[in-house]
Amino acid sequence: MLDFSILLNNLDTYLEGFKNTVLASIIALLGSFIIGVIVAVMRIAPIKPLNWIGSAYVEFIRNIPLLVIAFFFYYGLPAIGVTLPAFVAGTIALAIYTASFIAEAIRAGIQSVPKGQMEAARSSGLTYLQTMRTIILPQAIKIVIPPIGNQFINLVKNSAILGMIAGLDLMYFGDLVSSRTFVTFPVYIFVAMFYLVLTIPLSLGVGYLERRLARSN
Amino acid sequence: MIRFDSVNKYFGNFHVLKNINLEINKGEVVVVIGPSGSGKSTLLRCINRLETITDGELTVNDLKVNDKKTDINQLRRNIGMVFQHFHLYPHKTVLENITTAPIKVLKQSKEEAEKVARSYLEKVGIPEKANSYPAQLSGGQQQRVAIARGLAMKPEIILFDEPTSALDPEMIGEVLDVMKALAKEGMTMVVVTHEMGFAREVADRIIFMDQGQILEQGKPADFYANPKEERARLFLSRILNH
Repeated sequence: MLDFSILLNNLDTYLEGFKNTVLASIIALLGSFIIGVIVAVMRIAPIKPLNWIGSAYVEFIRNIPLLVIAFFFYYGLPAIGVTLPAFVAGTIALAIYTASFIAEAIRAGIQSVPKGQMEAARSSGLTYLQTMRTIILPQAIKIVIPPIGNQFINLVKNSAILGMIAGLDLMYFGDLVSSRTFVTFPVYIFVAMFYLVLTIPLSLGVGYLERRLARSN
Repeated sequence: MIRFDSVNKYFGNFHVLKNINLEINKGEVVVVIGPSGSGKSTLLRCINRLETITDGELTVNDLKVNDKKTDINQLRRNIGMVFQHFHLYPHKTVLENITTAPIKVLKQSKEEAEKVARSYLEKVGIPEKANSYPAQLSGGQQQRVAIARGLAMKPEIILFDEPTSALDPEMIGEVLDVMKALAKEGMTMVVVTHEMGFAREVADRIIFMDQGQILEQGKPADFYANPKEERARLFLSRILNH
């Protein structure tokens, strides 16, 4: 049976890790959303060089393992004189990595709005940016919320990458408890449970939004 | 007012518009007819630069449509457009559909824009639908909202791209009635349509296009009674005699 004394005796340690995992997730979530929107707009704006930069970002970042990106920010940057705390390096890596997926979701959402909407708005004299803001994005957001929600769930799980670079997250402190107590299996079961505390409500929330948006159409 | 001077347009290798020369005057109602793929819609869409021309010169009110120095948004606010599939904004109410451009482009106040919008809804016969969403309207009602949306910018020209082709037969009449009323008020209109009754009754001039060329043009009475071109005769016999 699961030995709950492991959890209770190390509750402070677990909670410290849980707190940092939540913090890293929230910061990376905001960061990845902002970068994602910018990259998505770059990919579809009617300016060729911006399209290239946007596409290059998505294709490169999406196809590199997150672990490599995290190692780059933690172990790689000091080589050029930039030393970041592990928590910061890991969170930046997480944001940059997730942003490539979010950019793709947003781009797909924008492009799924019928072309006639852009034509109707532009032919009435609205500028490209006005059309994006008042006509296209409000329609795209409905299409985009479910896939972005799924990316946020992935982000929370991927935050375990911080544990690999001593990022003080749940995974890191799980390792710590394990090495302190010489117990492995139950320690990681409790780590998994803490992740579920975050991801299951997120997943239910995404499902709820999905159903509500489907009804409003 | 609208002037095509030796205009050509290609889509890749496909020559869509071939040496178009055309002048449309203020207050004129011009109806463009012809078989599918003849370039009618493309011709129309060049006028407000939804399509760009490959060469030649196209001017609206003496402004070169394709010149980089021309403020295209400035030009477009003066040219209304009504589409085959309406393209109303599904997330906005009828009133918001009509007031968006006047508020954003003409900088009208919300109150003023709504007053204007309601007067045009009255004009197209559906004032009671102001707070409905497009999905709650029939096709004919949606198209009338689209016309009101175009009118609210107080344009000098309105382009109609097959405005009744996506409608149930029963609803065609209500849209054509609105267009006829506009024509009588002296609006400059360029209409791509297959509605021969409307063309005959309202048009000042019929333009017949085939394979990217203007083959024939003239007053509706002359054109329908005695089309000069063989291709036009064939086209008319196919769509009129059944």
